[in-house]
Amino acid sequence: MLLWVTLALGYNFLFGICGQVSFSHFAFYGIGAYSVVILLFQLHVPLPLAILLGVAICVVVALVVAIPSARLEGFYLALATLALAQLFVVLLNEGGEVTGGTGGIASYRLPAIFGMQLRGPWYTAVIVALLLATYFILRKLDHSWFGRACRAVRDNPEAAAAMGIDVARTKVVAFTLTSALAGIAGMVYAFVDNTVNPPIFGVENAFLLLFMVIVGGSGRHAGAAIGAVLLFLLPFWLAPLVGHHHVLVFGVLMLAAILLQPKGLIGIWDRFSR
Amino acid sequence: MQDFLELAVSAAASGCIYGLIALAYLLMIRPTGIINFAVGEWAMVAAFGGYVLLTKYELPYPLGMGIVLAFMLVVGWLTERVAVRPLVEKGATLLAPILALLGVLVITREIISISFPPDPHTVPFPFEIQYHKYFIIGVTFAVFAGAWLFFEKTLWGKSFEAVAVNRRAAALMGINLSRVTSLSFAAGAAVAGLGGLLVSPNISAHYLMGVPLAIQGFTALVIGGVGRVEGALLGGLLLAFAEQFTVRYAPIPGGFAQGVPLLFLMIFLVLRPTGLLRARA
Repeated sequence: MLLWVTLALGYNFLFGICGQVSFSHFAFYGIGAYSVVILLFQLHVPLPLAILLGVAICVVVALVVAIPSARLEGFYLALATLALAQLFVVLLNEGGEVTGGTGGIASYRLPAIFGMQLRGPWYTAVIVALLLATYFILRKLDHSWFGRACRAVRDNPEAAAAMGIDVARTKVVAFTLTSALAGIAGMVYAFVDNTVNPPIFGVENAFLLLFMVIVGGSGRHAGAAIGAVLLFLLPFWLAPLVGHHHVLVFGVLMLAAILLQPKGLIGIWDRFSR
Repeated sequence: MQDFLELAVSAAASGCIYGLIALAYLLMIRPTGIINFAVGEWAMVAAFGGYVLLTKYELPYPLGMGIVLAFMLVVGWLTERVAVRPLVEKGATLLAPILALLGVLVITREIISISFPPDPHTVPFPFEIQYHKYFIIGVTFAVFAGAWLFFEKTLWGKSFEAVAVNRRAAALMGINLSRVTSLSFAAGAAVAGLGGLLVSPNISAHYLMGVPLAIQGFTALVIGGVGRVEGALLGGLLLAFAEQFTVRYAPIPGGFAQGVPLLFLMIFLVLRPTGLLRARA
């Protein structure tokens, strides 16, 4: 759940603050997870180097997707990332020895750091640290010149350009940055269950992430966090009622949010607390 | 040579399906600018309609097909009423209805997956199996000819065009914008449904069939360009030929073939985002 919140925060920055729709957030999560596992256990790269290389891979892939699509108006980024996300899952399934095919890679173990094995509650501490770090980075960015530039690009690209903001570059940087954050979260994920397999990184979960941010309230960190927690817990509450069909409820919630309360749950909260 | 010809016909048939889905996108994008990813789910709904009417109740094919298409018109019209019009009237950005339609996509799929068991459902062929490809090609060309005539020759088609070019000006000229929008959604749903119904005897109705169709149809649209009706068909055919010939002749494993349309989509988005055919001035 903490990882979902981390992802939702990153996605919120891209979608809610910078106004870009992307479906590849989970693909980058997966690229992070797979690359760190493959680097560590098939190429036997030391851990710090593997993490750096994993981030580098995410950044390169993100740039390759973002640079051409940011030049174009409209929803080309959404389409390019949709294609990327699908392509990534195909590659994972067909990767043979390297990616372990449909079964993925399992039964590996986080190498010891300074002679310590991080496990159980200690590993949870790592995830909490990641969540907090992501939150502080994004908050800092949001309150900086760059965050304001992102909001300007979202609300009115022409005006932003007239104010001297490089619209395309802002988009590319926001996309690359949030994708790299997703990749880092993916690396942490890789050692939660010590297994990585393709279905987790598909388009389905990317939709879910979008729903979380919209239902919670896009453009607000608290909103993204609320949405992520709520949509993560809902399946458990709903299981006795609708079984595995909680996605239906998500769809209805998301449609209701767009039609009735575009600011999401956080918007309702604002109204009552005033 | 025999092999080559057979492959060409089957590629043309699946290209026609992609073309129909692309046309469904185009019918909605042209007047409204809204990309509706739910077209794949609409095709899926029609395929299930085909299963219920033709397999379960064994209605004659033309009657079953007619009912399914009429039902799809209603579905498209309702979708526009519920998920698009309130947002347009509120003056929300274009992004809002697109996201709302993503919600519709998920809702549609889940309703179908609740209503039917998860295994594939067979839909009968209208004729003998070996003629089905020709049936697909024939119907598709008829639909495209109809769409072309509609846009080029009729006053209604011209009003669609006018809305596509400039909404405000079109409204000032006395064109009923909301009627054009709801018609475009109804027609889009019917065309997507036709595509789903035609493809369903080959691949069987399954609740996960929508998203791949939606992506392939969209790729076809990007290749052909949103400017012209013929572009959708051309894009679909090109895509299907590229796909099937890579699978047949290129030395790559079958699973990678799924990646071909996606690679195409990426390449076209980068190199030629307006598509092969430019809009007529």
